Amino acid sequence: MRKGLLSGLLVGLLATQAYAANSIKLAITGPFSGGSAPMGASMRDGAKLAIAEINAAGGVKVGGTMMKFDIIERDDEAKNERGALIAQELASMSGLAGVIGTVNTGVCMAGDKHLQQKGITKIITPAAGSDSMTQWIKAKVKDLSIFRFAAHDGIQAAMVVEEAINRKYTKVAMLYDATNYGVSGRDDMLEQIKKQGNKLQVVVSEKFNIGDKDMTAQLLRAKNGGAQAVLIWGIGPELAAVANGMAKIGLKVPLIGGWTLSMSNFIDNAGKNGNGTLMPQTFIEEPISPKAKSFIAAYHKAYKVQRIASPVSAAQGYDAVYIFAAAVKQAQTTDTKKIKLALENLQEPVHGVIATWKKPFSAWNPADVTSHEAFRREQAVMGMVKDGKVVFGNDADRKRLIKNATSVAGKK
Amino acid sequence: MDQAVIIQMVVSGALMGLVYALVAYGFQLTFATSKSINFGQGELVMVSAFFSLTLTDLGLPYYLMIPGGLLFGVIAGLFVERAGVRLALEQKSEGWILMTIIIGLFGFSAAENIWGRDDRPFPTPIPSEPIQLFGISITWLEVSVAVGVFMIMAIIELFKRKTLLGKAFEAVSADRDAAELMGISATRTIMLSYGLSGLVAALAGILISPITTVGPTMASVLVLKAFSVAVVAGLESGFGVVLVGLFLGSLESLTSYYVGSGWREAPGLVLLILSLAIRPTGIFGKAVIRKV
Repeated sequence: MRKGLLSGLLVGLLATQAYAANSIKLAITGPFSGGSAPMGASMRDGAKLAIAEINAAGGVKVGGTMMKFDIIERDDEAKNERGALIAQELASMSGLAGVIGTVNTGVCMAGDKHLQQKGITKIITPAAGSDSMTQWIKAKVKDLSIFRFAAHDGIQAAMVVEEAINRKYTKVAMLYDATNYGVSGRDDMLEQIKKQGNKLQVVVSEKFNIGDKDMTAQLLRAKNGGAQAVLIWGIGPELAAVANGMAKIGLKVPLIGGWTLSMSNFIDNAGKNGNGTLMPQTFIEEPISPKAKSFIAAYHKAYKVQRIASPVSAAQGYDAVYIFAAAVKQAQTTDTKKIKLALENLQEPVHGVIATWKKPFSAWNPADVTSHEAFRREQAVMGMVKDGKVVFGNDADRKRLIKNATSVAGKK
Repeated sequence: MDQAVIIQMVVSGALMGLVYALVAYGFQLTFATSKSINFGQGELVMVSAFFSLTLTDLGLPYYLMIPGGLLFGVIAGLFVERAGVRLALEQKSEGWILMTIIIGLFGFSAAENIWGRDDRPFPTPIPSEPIQLFGISITWLEVSVAVGVFMIMAIIELFKRKTLLGKAFEAVSADRDAAELMGISATRTIMLSYGLSGLVAALAGILISPITTVGPTMASVLVLKAFSVAVVAGLESGFGVVLVGLFLGSLESLTSYYVGSGWREAPGLVLLILSLAIRPTGIFGKAVIRKV
């Protein structure tokens, strides 16, 4: 019995090593267990779906040979210290082509410096906190190997404020959780209100703690202040407590906030009280284009689900892998530093499920964080919760995406 | 000042306060008989809630799930007593403090591994729609919490006063040595108190889960508040715990409305410090006279 196990392990070890010599080693990291798991696991599964497709087609042609992707998975459990350990491990791994992942901004802050030191290419997705990229500007790095493939908080806050203005609201309440994420989200929103012409008056600004379930006080203040919408920045369970509290005190105004409002632990725990909630999204689980249709069908089939836990994370994981593969193809090597150079100057457009990516990144500009950010305002749409699913919040967005998809198909 | 707002805040807060009181009542029950408490009471609430959720997932209807969940609570309470408390008490050591914490941590890890770390909704047939009562909004779920808390406490208090077993319970609480001389088994009575304490914890879990959702950390804040309530009220009186719970809950929500949501936790802590500084036995506590 023991002998069998040992030899099995040995064979497995030899097999992976033999395999690794002629493959593209890509690490996928994120929280695959715990509160952030819906995002982490969806991202991983989306990325693995793309890798399976690429591998099934023979792999990426590098220097005359077809190379397949080899996945290294690491669960950071959304813990900063775990993230730092994993980053150290990956940084010292030989022959690693790159890293994709990370959901939590804190994990980025704790771990990415190790990768940057060794110049290992990483595409952050779906962590959206501004800090994970602006830290490099503050540190004044000249050359950066970290990229981001997610609609960062700046874009999201702009969209949230824009939505409230478009709906002709003038008075809003601002709610945020007491974590870094919540407080920086509040600052982003306040800045955007100023930028977009001070058309919104913040009647109350209230915070809540992780674990709070009774939001009556904050919401009553919002109600008595005459708020026409609640702008919110927080994480799943507390957001649900807010939605339920609003129903309780009869505050019938829309809840608008960051993309965390699309997390399944918000949608499930808020139930019908979550209906009508608006949040920025980069992907809506609706087959509006052939590409989206085949992606959704393939995901549902591969993981035996009816609904993707976090469609945004899944789609971003999927597209990030294709962009990475394109960079490997262009670089004609699995050397992570050359892949980085290719990413900064991608020649061929990548047809992803979110959009067609033409030069998503450019060379790092220490004064401009967007040089390493793939998403712009036009790749994001407003999503809305409806009966347990996230659908398009504005029909205009839906039409725009359909139009984009058909024009791309026409060009091909 | 807007009167409706004040009443709304007091009522909403008081309902949360009742939950603190129910958890604190679990401390009070075991403290009365054995002068020990289960530091893993919060985990007991959480594990019972998860167990009840599993029963519901298995297709058990709500009214059958409740006794199942409560039974689980009783068994868990008895387990804590046998595994963590009994020997320590026999040896007159304070080992139960560490043991109950360890059992609690064990329960926490077990829950993470068995049920995962996600917060999950707890299905209930009780509607969550708000109703208007004298100009304030309240949900049926909150009413069910209040009814449940008062009912279980009334039943246990009646049991203590009216039945033979209950009188034994009271006797051991009053004077353990004298009760033993009268032929009452203190060990059994302590077992009973831990069983009841587990029952109360399980009920707290079932009552609040539809409001708070079920997750490994669901009771960690709750249990801290319950400690405050228990210390401020003193661990001698069940009804004292309820009064202080109601008071603390209302004070919290009034503070967060009038002073600001960041100050929500402050009054509870101030109350705790004041009570420890001025009346360490608690408002309703009796000073213990120890003969040396």
